Amino acid sequence: MSEPETLLGDIRVLDLADQKGVYCTKLLADLGADTIKIEMPGGDPMRRIGPFFHDKPDAEKSLYWFQFNTSKRGITLNLDTADGREILKQLVLTADVMVETFPPGHLDSMGLGYSVLKEINPRLILTSITPFGQTGPYRDFKGSDMVAQAMGGLMYLAGFPEDPPYRIHGSQAYHSASVQATVGTMIALYTRELTGEGQQVDVSLQESVLMAMETAMQHYDMRKEIRRRVFRPPVVPGIGLYECKDGHVFSYTVAGFGAGWDVIVDWLDSEGKAGDLRDEKWSEVFELMGNFRALIAMVSDPPRLIARLEQFAHINGIFTDFLAPKTKQEIYESAAQRRIMIVPVHTAKDLVESPQLEALGYFVDVEHPELGMSLKYPGAPYYHISQTPWRISRRAPLIGEHNFEIYEKELGFSREQLAILKQQGAI
Amino acid sequence: MEHKLPLEGIRVCDFSWFAAAPVATKILADHGAQVIKMESATHPDGIRMAMPLTPGKEESLNAGGWFNNQNSSKLCLGLNLANPRAKEVYDRLIMVSDVVVENFSPRLKESLGLNYEDYVKLKPDLIWVDQPMQGITGPHKYRAGFGAVITPLGGLSYLSGFPHRPPVGTGTNYTDYVINPGHLAIAVIGALRRRKRTGKGQHVVMAQYGSAVSVLETAILDYTVNGRIQTRSGNRIPYAAPHGCYRCKGEDRDCIYYTAMGPAPGRKDDRWCVIAVFTDAEWEAFCNVIGNPPWTSDPRFATLLGRKENEDELDRLVEEWTQERSPEEVMLLMQRAGVPAGVVQDAEDILVHDPQIRARGYYVYVDHSETGHSAYDGSGFKLSATPGTLSSGAPRIGEHTEFVCKEILGMADEEINVLLAEGVLEVG
Repeated sequence: MSEPETLLGDIRVLDLADQKGVYCTKLLADLGADTIKIEMPGGDPMRRIGPFFHDKPDAEKSLYWFQFNTSKRGITLNLDTADGREILKQLVLTADVMVETFPPGHLDSMGLGYSVLKEINPRLILTSITPFGQTGPYRDFKGSDMVAQAMGGLMYLAGFPEDPPYRIHGSQAYHSASVQATVGTMIALYTRELTGEGQQVDVSLQESVLMAMETAMQHYDMRKEIRRRVFRPPVVPGIGLYECKDGHVFSYTVAGFGAGWDVIVDWLDSEGKAGDLRDEKWSEVFELMGNFRALIAMVSDPPRLIARLEQFAHINGIFTDFLAPKTKQEIYESAAQRRIMIVPVHTAKDLVESPQLEALGYFVDVEHPELGMSLKYPGAPYYHISQTPWRISRRAPLIGEHNFEIYEKELGFSREQLAILKQQGAI
Repeated sequence: MEHKLPLEGIRVCDFSWFAAAPVATKILADHGAQVIKMESATHPDGIRMAMPLTPGKEESLNAGGWFNNQNSSKLCLGLNLANPRAKEVYDRLIMVSDVVVENFSPRLKESLGLNYEDYVKLKPDLIWVDQPMQGITGPHKYRAGFGAVITPLGGLSYLSGFPHRPPVGTGTNYTDYVINPGHLAIAVIGALRRRKRTGKGQHVVMAQYGSAVSVLETAILDYTVNGRIQTRSGNRIPYAAPHGCYRCKGEDRDCIYYTAMGPAPGRKDDRWCVIAVFTDAEWEAFCNVIGNPPWTSDPRFATLLGRKENEDELDRLVEEWTQERSPEEVMLLMQRAGVPAGVVQDAEDILVHDPQIRARGYYVYVDHSETGHSAYDGSGFKLSATPGTLSSGAPRIGEHTEFVCKEILGMADEEINVLLAEGVLEVG
């Protein structure tokens, strides 16, 4: 059976990325690019990041390594040696894209700057991901995911006003920078079809998350208002986080999005828990809560809002008591049947058990012959690209797994030469 | 000579609204694609009404910062999609487009007849993009939602925040702005490149739910492999300490905070700095910066293992030092010594004061007929040879009706007038 066509099957990527860019090269690799992960001899530092398979710390058992290096091949190469740098130049001749995350200027100092690489291969696209970008007064500043989330404005928006700001889980600045870098690389690849030439893609971790400030920038630009973390328990009934039997649900019964309070009261009533909400006196409150513009106008007008607070608290109390004894999934099912927008706050376990993700074929089993089993991985960010499907073509590479394939079979080094390079520490 | 934008010549028929997909088509538009939005004053893109609105223009549909920012460089055809005759117009636009993008609920998509299977028969090289919440198949495909519910549903809320606090999430519709539109743009531009090489179109479907679950780092594997349900860990990570967010000295001035209750006068005293110490060298440099107080030579803090075991106390001691200083001072002292650190910046810091953002020209100011001189997000990546640019601010509703109908669809004045009179078309 022939392999299915992939979106990037004709593209080779050299992967010199650390945590900042490793999701970029995963995205390219899972779309079919022949992606060669280049590690220092002895193994990449990312192999030390946990958690580990069955909690056994081991360079070949890092789940972090597994997660971010699917569909790639791997070689070891030491760029601190002259031989290592020469080999990289040979690889550059064969490559379409190189993704790197060294501090600005580091490649130049090794004699591997873009001007040099471009001479070797004018079609090469050099994608660079750094904390603050290749230019500007902070270009040499050190960064990390948390530093970028702070400097990029994300941290100021999440959480309770009385708590310190926190970073969003899952290295979102690394993920965002990798996504931005991949979009830029795709545009550069598209452009190359027209011009025949490569170019540089410069991505700053800090800039990569700025768009995710949502409206904070515009609030300041248009109204000189500073938006900050303002989480509170629900004020307007049905909008916010509610505790339930096995966790939390997030309720977003905003007017116009899904069913309104008439349906919610029917739901409460169906279990005899509507309290006095059938009483005529509540109808104008429900009407207000069903009118998006009136609601916005009211919350921006403190005196009118304060006048409403007692009524809101009463309704909220009934709603809170109604949800408390139910499970997340019970609430989700009942609400969805009525088109009420309430969703569970999912854990990883909930996600793995989600019937919808199951139906989409989201999770994929990837074989790990060395572990004697397949592991279940999160799948494609886009689950369907009709003619060139996304897929994980292989598990992450072992240390130096493809040295023979690439150095001997492809670049034509002899066993004797490879022995010299190995002893010198170049590969 | 002005350079050619990389996606010039690509036309996008854009049914998308709210967020996520519109941010993806902003990327296409800012890089030269001709993106044509369709909406009407009768049924506008709902995000036009959302805060913030330009002062004095609160009744206008064209003065919203949220909408405008994510619709730069686009054209707007005033088309009332709820009118039965609208299909005559958008069918023609689809036939002369390279890409079609929609992110309606599958129910609405079906009722509008926006099915790839029907259009591909008429135009085989179409690239058709659906970006539903949960999928266009599967048992939950009709469930309502948008960005605000994807954060809890997709697992990010549960994992973000402090362990002793409830999972309140990101404070925003987080995945709508980079993760989901970015994932989408990657597939669309990849499909465009393939079409250029092979002449073939294809169908791209991206469930926002699945896309969000793809950025949980190791949370899924840790569960499927080790049976562990990862939970919130605040700002701490296993391989660095100190690694936290510390209170700093406030500024002695007033400011206005935005709250759900409207603008609230306050003091600019909610100031914080993050510090991230990964290596022994960074720890040593950190201790030097804070003047090597006696506690830094306490054996409990000499090793990473020790610092992790005594992290509460460590964080308290670090904060004793930071709260005497402004966050900018903390950052600069640390960075000059080679310790990763950064100010927890608010939008004012970023838009007005941050010298890095300014030097790189990230924000783009555009003159807009209703909002005046306004800031827009530029590109999240810089291309050296063919950089993107904002060709214009966001369109007013129906701003380009005449242009699209005449120049792109080749409609006669008479036909346009009939459709205007019937309320199918609108001019804004």
